[in-house]
Amino acid sequence: MAEKSKKNIPVVGIVLVTHGTFGETLLEAAEMVMGKQDNCLAVGVDVERSVDETMELIRSSIQKVERGKGVVALTDLFGGSPTTMSLSLMKSENLEVITGVNLPMLVATLQSRSMDLQALAEKVKSAGQQGIKVAGAMLRKKAKK
Amino acid sequence: MILVRIDNRLIHGQIIETWLPYTGAQRVFVANDELVHDVLQQEIMSLAIPQTVDSFFVSVEGLSRAVEDNGYGEGHDVIILFSNCSDARRAFDAGFGFDILNVGNVHYSPGKRQVSPSVALSDEDESCLRHLSRKGVELDFRCVPNDQVQVRF
Repeated sequence: MAEKSKKNIPVVGIVLVTHGTFGETLLEAAEMVMGKQDNCLAVGVDVERSVDETMELIRSSIQKVERGKGVVALTDLFGGSPTTMSLSLMKSENLEVITGVNLPMLVATLQSRSMDLQALAEKVKSAGQQGIKVAGAMLRKKAKK
Repeated sequence: MILVRIDNRLIHGQIIETWLPYTGAQRVFVANDELVHDVLQQEIMSLAIPQTVDSFFVSVEGLSRAVEDNGYGEGHDVIILFSNCSDARRAFDAGFGFDILNVGNVHYSPGKRQVSPSVALSDEDESCLRHLSRKGVELDFRCVPNDQVQVRF
C-alpha cells in the first residue's frame, strides 16, 4: 500500500549544509537505510557561488522544510563556512545548528523528528558520538572471552 | 610567518584546518569594513578558532594601526585576511605594507575571468593586483598551503 503523504504532520525540518556534495550523498545513504524522507534538503557550499547566493539558498531551504517545529541544520565542519553561514541565520529562523554530521547522526535525526528541537539536538549529538566505535578492537575483545 | 590573504569567506574551514597549523599563527586580523560593525558575525567567525589564537576585527583603513598596537612587527606569526582585492589595495595604500599577497578565494560572478579553480577576477580586481605587483608585492595564488605556487600575472 502506498504510504500517505506526511506533509501535514509537524516534524522538525532538516537541512544538510556541507562542503560540496557531501550532504546530498549522505542523505542518499540515509535513505538507503531509512527509506525516502520528506522535509529534508541538502545544500552544498561551492566555491563557484558567492557567499550571498549560498546564504539565500540555505535560507530558502530552511523555509521550505519548516513545518512549525523548527529546523535543524546539520553541518560538516565546526568553523567551516557551511557552519558559519547556518549560524548567521539563527537570528531570523527557528534553527539549531549541529556540526560534525555523520550517518548515525542523520539517521537519529530522521528517527526523532517529532521531538522538540533542543531535545532532538541532544539526542543527535549523542548518536553521533555513540556511532564512533573502534569495532575491530571490540570484536577482538569479544573473541577473547 | 606572516600570511596576508584575500579570501571572500574570511575565516572558514581552510583557514582553521590548513593555514592556522601551517603558519603557526597566534593572531588573526580580519580587515573588513562591514564586519567591524557586526558583532554577531564576529562571534560566529571566532567560535571555532582555537583558544590559543586571538582574533581581531578591524576596518581596512585601521589595519595598519591595529597590527602595530598588537605587536605585529615582533616576529609573531600572524594571518591577515581581506575579503576582496580592493580592500587589500586600500590597506596597502593606507600604509599597511606586505611583500607577498596570497590570493585564496575570489568567487566567480558574471563578467569575471576564472584564473584558477578558486579565483575569478574582474577588471577592477586585476587592476588592484597589478597595482600591488608594480609596488613590488609578490602574488601567490594558493587556496591551501599544499597547492602549487602559481603566479598568473
